[in-house]
Amino acid sequence: MPIKKLKLNINGKKYNIDIQQLSKDTIKIKVNDEDFIFKEKRKGEGKSVVAKTSIPKRDFKEKEIKAPIAGVISEVFVKENDFIKKGKKIVLLSAMKMENEIISEFEGKIKKLLVKKGEKVKEGNVLIILE
Amino acid sequence: MKLKKYKKVSSTNKIAKKIKKPKDWLVIQAEEQKAGYGRKKDYWFSPKGGLYFSVILPKSTIEDLQILTILAAFVVAKAIKENFKLEPMIKLPNDVYLNQKKIGGILTETVVGEDVKFSIMGIGLNTNIDKFPKDLENIATSLKIELGKKVNNDKLIKQIVKGLKDQLGAISE
Repeated sequence: MPIKKLKLNINGKKYNIDIQQLSKDTIKIKVNDEDFIFKEKRKGEGKSVVAKTSIPKRDFKEKEIKAPIAGVISEVFVKENDFIKKGKKIVLLSAMKMENEIISEFEGKIKKLLVKKGEKVKEGNVLIILE
Repeated sequence: MKLKKYKKVSSTNKIAKKIKKPKDWLVIQAEEQKAGYGRKKDYWFSPKGGLYFSVILPKSTIEDLQILTILAAFVVAKAIKENFKLEPMIKLPNDVYLNQKKIGGILTETVVGEDVKFSIMGIGLNTNIDKFPKDLENIATSLKIELGKKVNNDKLIKQIVKGLKDQLGAISE
């Protein structure tokens, strides 16, 4: 479904707006990190139905694990939704001259796994997000 | 030099990784490795006679360790050149060649969280190996084959470890 992107600046505050048509009568409007879903009114209905969905406001408990050095991901030891403990091996990152086991310093559930085997990463690239 | 010597192990890097409280610069040496490996888990032929060891490196930054790994190839090459008047060649990042055949390799492995928790450098040097299997004889050589005589593994290991200490000292200054 097509996405239309808009950028607005209202009194100095920036709004990134993505408008996406989800189906014939439903559109999703994302304003910064918040999603709003609008259903077109049907006959007999007075108002459009608005559903505010996820509120992915950044959780302070969310943790990112980043690549300490540029290299290639030669192994991935975890998958999304895994619950991992401190010290758990996340990936094997082969920098040209070294093999680096990247471990987690945190405990938590893997919300996002952002790399796969064979992928090149730069220093500072986020590998996983934990919640 | 603190040295733990084994007769036969899977790989000295593997043994080093299992040590509970590893002391800086502890050297793990094996007379023989059953499962020696290099980068990308490439097999490293490790029969009796060769020099196979891993060095537990002191706490350093990942950048310094990367530099040290490249310099390790120079340290090994220098030991070969100075002791035996041979002309080794370094194939970056971490192999040492003699007469277009591989004679030594280096593999550094680290464990990294927010900082480097642990790092070891494994070095394999074909010293007193008489003969290589068919699939390797055109691509690998040993000091014994090149010189026609045995070399002193104990002297070489000391020189190489000292060279690594000097280099890391210089990098992290």
